[in-house]
Amino acid sequence: MAALVLPAALLVLVLLVAPMAMLFRISLNQYSPTELMIEALSPENYLRAIADPYYQDVLATTMGVALSCTLIALLLGFPAAYWLARMESRWKSLAVILTLFPLLVGNVVRAAGWMALLGRDGAINAGLMGLGLIAEPLTLLYTRGAVILGIVAVVAPYMILTLASVIEAIPRQVEEAAANLGAGPLTGFRRVVLPLALPGVAAGSVLVFILCMNAYATPVLLGGPQFKMMAPAVYDQFVKGTNWPFGAALAFVLLVVTLTLTIAGSALLARRSRRG
Amino acid sequence: MITRRGALATSLLAGLPGLSAAQSAQVVVGTWGGDYGDLLAGNIDKPLLAPRGTEVIQDVGPQDPRKTKLIAERSARRGSMDVCCLSDVDMFSMAQQGVFEPIDEARVPNLAKAIPSLKRPYSIPHIYSAKVILYNPAKVTAAPQSYADLWDPKYRGKVGLVDILHLQNMETAAIVAGGDHHDYEPGKRKLMELRSLDVKVYPSNEALAAALKSEEVWLSLMWLARGFMWKKSGIPVEAAVPSEGATSICFEMAVPKNARNREGGLGYLNAALDAKAQGAFADRMGYAPTVTDATLPPDLARQISLTPEQQAKLRTPDYEYIARNQVALIDFWNKEFKR
Repeated sequence: MAALVLPAALLVLVLLVAPMAMLFRISLNQYSPTELMIEALSPENYLRAIADPYYQDVLATTMGVALSCTLIALLLGFPAAYWLARMESRWKSLAVILTLFPLLVGNVVRAAGWMALLGRDGAINAGLMGLGLIAEPLTLLYTRGAVILGIVAVVAPYMILTLASVIEAIPRQVEEAAANLGAGPLTGFRRVVLPLALPGVAAGSVLVFILCMNAYATPVLLGGPQFKMMAPAVYDQFVKGTNWPFGAALAFVLLVVTLTLTIAGSALLARRSRRG
Repeated sequence: MITRRGALATSLLAGLPGLSAAQSAQVVVGTWGGDYGDLLAGNIDKPLLAPRGTEVIQDVGPQDPRKTKLIAERSARRGSMDVCCLSDVDMFSMAQQGVFEPIDEARVPNLAKAIPSLKRPYSIPHIYSAKVILYNPAKVTAAPQSYADLWDPKYRGKVGLVDILHLQNMETAAIVAGGDHHDYEPGKRKLMELRSLDVKVYPSNEALAAALKSEEVWLSLMWLARGFMWKKSGIPVEAAVPSEGATSICFEMAVPKNARNREGGLGYLNAALDAKAQGAFADRMGYAPTVTDATLPPDLARQISLTPEQQAKLRTPDYEYIARNQVALIDFWNKEFKR
């Protein structure tokens, strides 16, 4: 039976572990403007990545945006997932396809759409000015809000579908029993549905949080030049600064922080779900 | 005696040079897409190289990934490009990493007609322009004279810069601060001053064009060629050549050392210096020819080239200084100026 895992394991080994090992080796090298990098075994790049207030800020922004997006996606996604899971009409499969529909459009194309909506001459400003509600166009594009909006739109389908599959597995009778015993809809949700859906909340949040931490196209296009998240910062080091060692170190810092927060978050939710 | 096996072997051997000739007739050009790529195809690839049996394949992409590709392939025996197009600053820094074949003028005969100050040992100059001030003539009634006019408090919030031109913006600030293009340090203070005057930073040339069009900003630093193109497309801008002297920008081409078809690559470089092909880039993109035998219609020449006095003051960026300090300069731009 173990042999069944072999092809996938080999693929992961070749395509993920090997390049990661190479990247880690590069992160210990020294940057040189004339020779790209000098072989070394130095923690210097990591120390700089951790100690530099600028990158602390970038990391804090990244975590802040990722947490906000995960929370918003969860709050917006739960009711939609519940509705989808409990749907009995023949339109259900259509509703699932519609939920997936945004994923058919690439992130860059989607961001271009947001730019057309949020820009200074965009549809929203034009509409508000046309109605005489504002005299000067509002700054909507190139803000943190625009980035959060854009990312939530990207990740919401992942959250909804993960939650829906877990909610679907909660027997309807359990909810009916709660109602029979006098629980109102809110109590029923809080004491029965939510605790049983916690594994879905955990899975959906982890998935979405990881996607948010690594977001690239949306922050670059909707955040503008003054807004920095980690993935664009890593790209800048590799491609614009040609500082591969430092870029590699930043990539590992991002990986370790994402991994730590993900593990801590899931452990917390797992404990709650056991208790509940 | 000719045996069947012998005949087969002979024909196979005879076939081999044919095969390699077919391969050597293909040249892969790493270039920008859009107008530039179209003009290469329409004025170099099809009219000049196709009749000679050379098939040109464009590897289209932005400049930064192309640089990364060069570096990543540096130790590979065979690279993916035969010709690499980069702007002058990046071409120099890549040449320092030793990735390019030295240019042998005997193998690129058209190089003899190139403007001498634009020639480099590792590349050919393809098209060039100068960094000028673009302004909205309806809002800025007196044409700016000097780069320093961008610091005039009456233009608070109305000056826009492009993020990707951070080195060029820093150079200008250094010149305004009384320094020069050999040391950008004095410019840092001056840039922070511009920041306190609410300068706007746009992610791309296209974003700046949109802001100039909507009159969100009235003044900017940009290539004369871009100003020409934008004006043609209806954006309200005029160009002013600063009294301090404009700085040149040259888009260059080089052949990587590990090119599969080095000869073909050098042939491509030679074709790119063809006078007629150069004229097409001037007409559509506003970049001045780098060869002395290209003649432009007088009206076009007036719009895209400098006067002899302005030309005499034209600065070439200090590539050596930039290559040495690029990382620290980008750090300042990102961490302090843009913060």
